[in-house]
Amino acid sequence: MAVIAHDPSMPTQTHAEVTRDVVRTITEKPERGYYILAGSMAFLTLVLFGTLGALLKYGLGLAGYSPPIMWSVYITTFVFWIGIGHAGTLISAILYLFRSRWRTAVYRSTEAMTVFAVMTAALFPIIHIGRQWLFYWLIPYPNQRFLWPNFKSPLMWDVFAISTYLTVSSTFLVIGLVPDIAAVRDHVSGWKKKVYGALSLGWTGADSQWRHYSRAYLYLAALATPLVLSVHSVVSWDFAMSIIPGWHGTIFAPYFVAGAIYSGIGMVLTLIIPLRKVLRIEHMITDYHFDNLAKLTLLTGSILFYSYSMEYFISWYSGSPFEQMTFWRRAFGPNWWAGWSMIICNAFVSQLLWFKKIRTSIPALFVISIFINIGMWFERWVIIAMSLTNDYVPYAWGQINPTWADWCILAGSFGWFGLWFTLFYKNFPIVAIQEIKEMIPMSRRKSHAGAH
Amino acid sequence: MAGQTEGAGVDRRQFLKVLGTAGAGAAVLGGCSTEQVQKLVPYMVQSEDQVPGIPTWYASTCAECSSGCGVYVKTREGRPIKLEGNPDHPVNAGTLCSRGQAGLQGLYNPDRLTGPMAKNAAGTWDAIKWDDAIARFAAKVAAAQGEFAVINGYGPSTFSSLLTAWTSAVGGFITNYQTFSREPERLANQKTWGRTDLPLYDFAAAKHIVSFGADYLETWGSPVEQQRGFAASHGFHDGTMARAVFVGPRMSLTAANSDEWVSVPAGTEALVALAMAQVIASSKGNSAAASLADYAPDKVASQTGLSAQKITALAQAFAAASPSLAVAGGVGAQHRGAIELCEAVNLLNDVAGNIGQTVKFGAALAESEGYGSVEALFGRMGKGEFQVVLVHDSNPLYTLPRGGNFGASFAKVPFKVSTAAILDETAAACDLILPSLHGYERWDDLMPRAGVRGLMQPVVEPVRNGMHIGDVVLKASKTIGGAAAAFNAPTFEAYLKGEWQKTLGANGFDDSWRETLGKGGVFAPSAPVETPKATGAAVSYTKPAFDGMGDYILMPYPSMQYHDGRGANKPWLLENPDPITKITWQSWVEMHPDTAAKIDVREGEIVELSSPHGKLRAQVYIYPGVRPDTLAMPLGLGHTEYGRYAKGRGVTPLALLGGGDGNGFLPYLSTKVSVALTGDYHKVARVDGMPRQLGRGIIQTMPLAYAAKGMTPEESYKAAGRNFAEENPELEQKALEGWRERQIEQTQVGDYEPTDMPQWGMAVDLSRCTGCSACVTACYAENNIPTVGEEQVFRRREMSWMRIERYWEGGTDGEQIQARFSPVMCQHCGAAPCEPVCPVYASYHTPDGLNGQVYNRCVGTRYCSNNCPFKVRYFNWLKFTDVAWPEPLNLQLNPEVVTRVRGVMEKCTFCIQRIRGAQHTAILENRSVRAGEIVTACAQACPSGAIKFGNVKDPADEVVKWKGDRRGYTMLEATNVRPSVTYLAKVLHVEPADFHGAEER
Amino acid sequence: MRKRLFLGLGVLAIAAVATLTLFRRGSAQQTTAGKPVVAAVDPASLKGPRQPIFFRHDIHVGRNQMQCQYCHYTVGVSNEPGIPSMQTCMGCHFLYVTGSTPQNKAEIAKLNVAWQSKTPVQWVRVHTLARHVHFPHSLHIKALGPQACATCHGNVARMAQVFKVNNVNNMGFCINCHIERKVSRDCSQCHF
Repeated sequence: MAVIAHDPSMPTQTHAEVTRDVVRTITEKPERGYYILAGSMAFLTLVLFGTLGALLKYGLGLAGYSPPIMWSVYITTFVFWIGIGHAGTLISAILYLFRSRWRTAVYRSTEAMTVFAVMTAALFPIIHIGRQWLFYWLIPYPNQRFLWPNFKSPLMWDVFAISTYLTVSSTFLVIGLVPDIAAVRDHVSGWKKKVYGALSLGWTGADSQWRHYSRAYLYLAALATPLVLSVHSVVSWDFAMSIIPGWHGTIFAPYFVAGAIYSGIGMVLTLIIPLRKVLRIEHMITDYHFDNLAKLTLLTGSILFYSYSMEYFISWYSGSPFEQMTFWRRAFGPNWWAGWSMIICNAFVSQLLWFKKIRTSIPALFVISIFINIGMWFERWVIIAMSLTNDYVPYAWGQINPTWADWCILAGSFGWFGLWFTLFYKNFPIVAIQEIKEMIPMSRRKSHAGAH
Repeated sequence: MAGQTEGAGVDRRQFLKVLGTAGAGAAVLGGCSTEQVQKLVPYMVQSEDQVPGIPTWYASTCAECSSGCGVYVKTREGRPIKLEGNPDHPVNAGTLCSRGQAGLQGLYNPDRLTGPMAKNAAGTWDAIKWDDAIARFAAKVAAAQGEFAVINGYGPSTFSSLLTAWTSAVGGFITNYQTFSREPERLANQKTWGRTDLPLYDFAAAKHIVSFGADYLETWGSPVEQQRGFAASHGFHDGTMARAVFVGPRMSLTAANSDEWVSVPAGTEALVALAMAQVIASSKGNSAAASLADYAPDKVASQTGLSAQKITALAQAFAAASPSLAVAGGVGAQHRGAIELCEAVNLLNDVAGNIGQTVKFGAALAESEGYGSVEALFGRMGKGEFQVVLVHDSNPLYTLPRGGNFGASFAKVPFKVSTAAILDETAAACDLILPSLHGYERWDDLMPRAGVRGLMQPVVEPVRNGMHIGDVVLKASKTIGGAAAAFNAPTFEAYLKGEWQKTLGANGFDDSWRETLGKGGVFAPSAPVETPKATGAAVSYTKPAFDGMGDYILMPYPSMQYHDGRGANKPWLLENPDPITKITWQSWVEMHPDTAAKIDVREGEIVELSSPHGKLRAQVYIYPGVRPDTLAMPLGLGHTEYGRYAKGRGVTPLALLGGGDGNGFLPYLSTKVSVALTGDYHKVARVDGMPRQLGRGIIQTMPLAYAAKGMTPEESYKAAGRNFAEENPELEQKALEGWRERQIEQTQVGDYEPTDMPQWGMAVDLSRCTGCSACVTACYAENNIPTVGEEQVFRRREMSWMRIERYWEGGTDGEQIQARFSPVMCQHCGAAPCEPVCPVYASYHTPDGLNGQVYNRCVGTRYCSNNCPFKVRYFNWLKFTDVAWPEPLNLQLNPEVVTRVRGVMEKCTFCIQRIRGAQHTAILENRSVRAGEIVTACAQACPSGAIKFGNVKDPADEVVKWKGDRRGYTMLEATNVRPSVTYLAKVLHVEPADFHGAEER
Repeated sequence: MRKRLFLGLGVLAIAAVATLTLFRRGSAQQTTAGKPVVAAVDPASLKGPRQPIFFRHDIHVGRNQMQCQYCHYTVGVSNEPGIPSMQTCMGCHFLYVTGSTPQNKAEIAKLNVAWQSKTPVQWVRVHTLARHVHFPHSLHIKALGPQACATCHGNVARMAQVFKVNNVNNMGFCINCHIERKVSRDCSQCHF
């Protein structure tokens, strides 16, 4: 008993309390702060689509592209968001299969984050192409012109990777939600009851339903697991398959996957630290969870550290003057500050997490998580945009100078993501009720027989 | 030929109107544009030589400068769409410079006046009818009672002589004045040989060329012809090549193409020439030696800043090569000592025995009055001696220095008439404008030299309601009466034919006339060479004086693009970067790095230059190719009128210059300026990113000695002790055995099976390319490339499918700076990185070895451009095609090439429309494409013949020979993309020991 | 008595008119079998855009058996098929061919007016190929023969007013042919 009682992964409350605490987050009326938050997110979303409209009308020239930098802020932000998603899937799927119990309290929020992050990322391939209205030409569909997309192109692989990822992770989220929505349904009344009723797909909690449910959940977890590795590997090949110095790297797939998870956990922290306060569920998401998240951050951060040093080593060892010049300019070129902010924010800052004090200090973690977000955006920007500023023919070298159109889309993407997330956590259980309950030890089940 | 231009006239204008609205036959691509209702307008009468869809070529003559190159005008459905050189013409032999090709944008310029205009009391313009306009003109001339002056900028021609005769008939005074008419040379020749005509300089024959300020590859003399000659002698051929030296204060394009730039202070060039003459004369025991004793190298060394040995070496090299050639003059050397300089050079040529060898008298025409007369004329205007002045084909109020108060004198004339087709500075100051016709709309001729009479014919219905001044004077004569009544030809065309009848002969004139029109004129074999008798006048040198107390000598030089400013209203020329500075759409002041450091300015900062004659603010361009004591500025911009493109763009150094001293020429290089910082900044619209090669072997060179031995660039680097790559240790060597071959094999996997398909390829001889950028303009004209404007160039969004890359070599720690030029277009790689990355196959490999680019399939992911090691792909960031061609500029668009919409990637296609066109013709004629039948626009235009295009699989094709050349290499071989463009290494006059292979690699 | 006579005449007249009209219609119906209709037609009732002059391809090509190349004279030598100049029309219509029916007379009169006033007739374009496609008519005529026009343009011999039979901007339409006849499908053959 005692042993179990001390297991920090175990919930401290009873079934009834769990349900109550979580359902409360939905049922109780939101404060003004919530509306302000949601409102500002909605505004940013408008900015996003307003800018997109301008791009459609006048062309991509509104953005700060200056050849030879053909990919700049948009692709950077795309990779940034697709990366965010990975932590979610890792926590919700892989850790589930590994039966690591600490994930339970946080997985719902992270899975939601994944879906919305991918939804955000999915906008960018469309935003960034020259004739956005023809994006569907990248989808293979039979046509009488006998035209077919080029399956050799990494961009094609991207299309498949993203669409698969979006489908699987959203299904995974929805399935996981069903019993919890049912629980909410039982605690609300009026039209809400009807809505949640419909969303709960007639969940009654019958044994047969539980049996099918847990199977389905398991399979989906198994299905989602490889995506954590595959999707971002594919994204990394967008660059690794090219011949651009700074892109053409054999270590890119693992390097990017680690970076993705790293950035994702950064975002998780940034989201749930305020969230647990706002929703008053600190007792469900505890220091213990953050400690674990922090350890994951430390691991992935260290992999990044290694990858960065490896990149520089390879470029030196390659003996290729092009590679060497590229990396020299990353550190000491005109955009040195970007290069260093990436290294400091990611490689160095993550190393602070060796100390348990920092791992368990919520404010410290929050600050670090912000660093991680910034650092990871810069990492992509440095790799993508800055490698393009100086490749083979010196005469064609150029400089980057983004414009309002770049920044509006970037900010807008946060709005779009934030809007979905804000709406989600206020209307759906942000903590997986039934999975928490599953972990409540027998003893307390007995002592509170009849509750629920 | 008169037939169809008149017969189908009205209808063709109809046709043009409609086409104009339908997008000039090259409507913007995209399904939607084809759905709206379109009208088909038939000819009333179908002219015999107009087959819809098939271009018709007319021979004509280029009137952009007085060189008088012959052109073929390519017309489609009655619209000129491209200008190409007339291969039979002795001056340009089938090629054409940028300015010449841009003539079309003068023809279709959106700012052309729509008809005659008269200034009313309010000072604004009223549109009037032609009859009215001519009546007013005639009345004024008649009333002027001989107080009538004419400034004629048009070159020697039937028209000019008509105008001269007519003017004197009405008792007026005429001066024929072209802006850069080389007066100092004429005056010097007068002193040296007692004749004021100019010789032809035979650059092709010269083995050693020394130029004292004469930019013979840019604006001086007849650039196209001279460039051809220069390429013939200085281009590497049969194991040798001529040596070229340039003496002057600035490294012009000519200097950059010379093997050596001898930097001397402005005004001391003559000393070098005299010293060289002294050395040669004394070594040859020539009588002149005595009189030159004061100019022995050691005596002049200090003034020129050169060592005596250096000068002696120059002289010996010059004497050793025979025949050699020394030239002097041009704006770049037009200081107060210009005449003495030219005399000195005449002497130098004389002692070196070049007269009659490379300096050929007898072919050039007699002088045009030049600056002296126009200066005098304005003086008389100032005194109010004229009631009426007529300005034709000249813009004196812009081209003459502001310090000379020419504007004020001009204003003193009560009634001023201009024939400008576009409202320029002079026209704006006039009271009546009789807009003339463009050279391709009118009957005319031009005689650049004896024996060469180029004809012009109307190849298009006048785009605007203009009238040739020839017709105007003839019509006016009727009302003026008196002596003028003798000029009774009904039209100028009739008069011209009448004059030509005298040369072609009356019997069978119609046939001979038709034949001559077809040929483009009469090109008699060059006149016999005369060797004039030197007058033996003593040669002296006095240090030229400079106005002003400033610290820096101001050196204005004519821009290659704008010439004297006439080019400033043509987008092609504005966007085509200056070959040296690579700046577009702007004017600038060139400053030596040391100078810049001293007064602490950076590129783009705006400085104020002030001279006794005026002030101006210009942005700084840091240029190691100008002396620290000199500031150089291009002429041509800074217009206050002259249409939407030129007006208010940039500044002109003329604002800082004073008038002449009555010596018969305008001393451009006679002002000292002081520099003041303003703290303002304006970004320089440069198109070169990193102007150094960083040892990447983009443009490879080799010493003449090695090239003569038939070494490859690689071998020559090794031989010069500069290894291609570091040597690998033995084991590594083993590991790498056959690695390169395997890699190349790898890239060939998936190549097309060897078929009967041709494989298109190109070769570029860098020892001939001078960087003149004529090919760039040709590419713009042929492929409907939009100009994007200054704002977009700031973002490097220019669309030039073909660019001339310019790299600096040396120039650091006191070392002589050198320039390298190379045309870079799509390399049509065999293993193209752009192809596999395109998700929609918009970029793909065609069976005949091209990198296809299917515009209408492109969705614009731009991955292809990222992955292109040469960065030769250009993206339509905005709706460039909507703004690039305001009507009627769009009438120039080539119907055989589609214009690209925004959001689409485009690039060089090896002029696929020409390839397919030739193939189609071949099919219709049941034959295969002949070797050399297909010529790309760039190769066609190149004055030095540095580009060769053809089928690599056809052994009969020239290009195969070129590609087989030992000097051949492909750019960025390390990437193993197997380009179809082979570059032939540039050959340098350099001792292998001093060979800087390392820098190029 | 008089009344009767008038009545009889009236009846006769009506009968005559009736039979005549019947006969005419009959004959018209007979001709439809082999020869195209040359009766008065209301262009508005026909498919295809209405032209400034109601030019009858069915009469010129169908009844008069004129070759396409007679008017579209560059189709065999150039990318462009060529629109006949007004002179070409007047060549026949100047004097003797003035039209059989009142309607045709009226239309041909329009042509004369246009010719006199030197204002070319602005035909409404029926087939407009997208600008990003290059279709060399000459090559196709050479390969498929002078009768091949119908392949894309339909049998104009039976069109009183020309209308669009095939959407020539439908790439599948081109590709099918190219596949059947085993000719190049390289994009750069048509797109540049």
